[in-house]
Amino acid sequence: MGDVAIQEELVAPWGEWSRRYRKGRRLLEAGTYALTEGAIAAGCRVFAGYPITPATDIAEYMSKRLPQVGGYYVQAEDELAGMHMCAGASLGGLKAMTATSGPGYTLMHDAYGWSIANEIPLVVVDAMRVGPVSGITGAPGQGEFYVSRYCSQGGNIETIVLSPASVQEAFWLTIDAFNLAERFRTVVTVLTDQVISDMWEDLFIPDDYEALADIVVPRRHNYQMPFYPLNSSDIDVPPNVIGLGTGVCVSAYTHTEEGYDIEEMEAQWAQTYRLVNKIRHHKDQILRYEAVGLDDAEVIAVAYGAPARTVKTGVLEARRRGVKAGFLRLISLWPFPDELFSRDVRYLVCELNYDGQLVREVMRAVPDKSKVHFMGKSAELHTVTELVQALDGVVTQNRIPELPYIWTEVR
Amino acid sequence: MNKLALKYLRPSQIPTKACHGCGIGMIENWILQAIDQFGLKQEDVVFGTGIGCVGRQTYGTWGGDNFGATHGRALAVATGLKIAQPDKKYIIVVGDGDAASIGTSHLIHAARRNLGVTVICEDNMGYESTGGQFSPTTPAGYVTNSSPYGMVEPSFDPCDIVKAAGATFVAETTATQWTQSVKIFKKALENDGFSFIHVRFPCNENFGAYALGTRDTLKNLEWIEEHTTGRKADGSDSDFRWETGIKHDASNSRPEFSKLLRDLQQRVQVRTAATGLGKGGH
Repeated sequence: MGDVAIQEELVAPWGEWSRRYRKGRRLLEAGTYALTEGAIAAGCRVFAGYPITPATDIAEYMSKRLPQVGGYYVQAEDELAGMHMCAGASLGGLKAMTATSGPGYTLMHDAYGWSIANEIPLVVVDAMRVGPVSGITGAPGQGEFYVSRYCSQGGNIETIVLSPASVQEAFWLTIDAFNLAERFRTVVTVLTDQVISDMWEDLFIPDDYEALADIVVPRRHNYQMPFYPLNSSDIDVPPNVIGLGTGVCVSAYTHTEEGYDIEEMEAQWAQTYRLVNKIRHHKDQILRYEAVGLDDAEVIAVAYGAPARTVKTGVLEARRRGVKAGFLRLISLWPFPDELFSRDVRYLVCELNYDGQLVREVMRAVPDKSKVHFMGKSAELHTVTELVQALDGVVTQNRIPELPYIWTEVR
Repeated sequence: MNKLALKYLRPSQIPTKACHGCGIGMIENWILQAIDQFGLKQEDVVFGTGIGCVGRQTYGTWGGDNFGATHGRALAVATGLKIAQPDKKYIIVVGDGDAASIGTSHLIHAARRNLGVTVICEDNMGYESTGGQFSPTTPAGYVTNSSPYGMVEPSFDPCDIVKAAGATFVAETTATQWTQSVKIFKKALENDGFSFIHVRFPCNENFGAYALGTRDTLKNLEWIEEHTTGRKADGSDSDFRWETGIKHDASNSRPEFSKLLRDLQQRVQVRTAATGLGKGGH
């Protein structure tokens, strides 16, 4: 009694990329491997970071791979240093990336602010594990959804955050993250989790990275004023470079278009306009998601990252049993895709935390927040059985039945 | 305007917003003399700073490329920059907060790696831009706005720390040692590795006012001079004396950090070519 043809949709550049690049090898590899190779394929030549489970393997792979391709691996004294080193390398003209997990991620916020305010292209991978604090090092969590948005001092910024749901997607998405970092001159966070980073899965890798030149945004240099196009939301402005004698000034202060420190309200306004609106005005170029069966859905299950895998299976199983369920997987998490939540139906938001993070944004974006249900689990993925029960419960009784280790309270 | 300032600095950014009698501008002038004697041009140098009096007053003054890192992180940023742009001279001018407190771990590890930078720690012996609190280099017992009964912690000497960590050039001077400081800065630039110079200078507004009881520039400089020579104006001994001069010189005795990485890269690429693994050789 299931649908004959369910409408499936992937809005992400790698839909086309994976059709275009067919020559390569199929491997059985880990998410960390895919994240590393995606970075190298995108032209990353510097990795500076501090080992932390479950992101450590990225550092190890990088230490092996970067010297092979003319790059540099630095094992930093801490995450503060790691991301600042990446910022320095990127300012020097090399694409750079760091990778960490929650306890290291929070240490990077000093460098986040500096890099975002100075429009330094960087990619940061956060492989989330369950918290609080160190939590369980080998179990997945999704506790840094908001932290990845508000990842720095002082606010007055917008951020770009992407999240992959498979090893293969981690490869393409990392290339995409580097592209967005270059185009928007900002830090792009790859917010992944312990399952995706540690999991081994089928992975296609193109043979020749040079052939990816058609899809990789190369590093360019801005040789002249204005170094910071204040009051402008233009993208595709070449990044600033230190070391070529342009006379650029890069600092922690509110700056003029030369980069001089200034303590005037108008200057702060102009800087904020730039940092916020270069992203807000081009949201359409950042939107990435996967959707299944939304058109006839009475309930839409929403998830991102690893949990989206079982959530999708749960939705398909529920549909097979006659529940009109849809599936929405967010890939671009920030800026938050409000436009995907215009349907006035019920929503079941599934995430790997008990406190409820994604669900709060969904409640804000939907037409009627009383129709939003929360299904929080922690350290372990939702099972298909749980999802089918929950979807059925939401449609038939307007509530999720009581299930062990599932939290439904948001307020 | 000073000829060297015209040659190297940005007229629009000097004089800085420093308080009257501050030593920061004077020391920057000495740095310019060393740069000039060494024969560097604007485009040869990347000028890096941190946060606090020293960061705020020197940032953006250099005519070439400038950066001002968040508090303590100048050396972490410089590490990444040096890898990407190894042929530049990096002059990192920071205060005692950046070097000896919030950023000490980066200082230690930059010294250990022998990162090719010249760090000039301009030390006004406290956090003066926040109104005069003690720092790890405030002399023990001295009164500041956060040690109203005298600082109870012992202080430390950042030169000892970087020397122990492996710095290849370490020196200390004070604001009353003009020619010696210029000679030492120039010597530091000759080292293709990690050079560290600790320079004490007076702050009239806070350290002078609260620890020494005067905002008089000459009296505060005299206090620096007394502790540089160990002798007061009346001929008696001062309460302590700083050891100034070159403390450790192993210039060019071991490879600079970014060179180590480039050498490693070359070795790996030779081996990679031999084993047939190319650029996509995952």
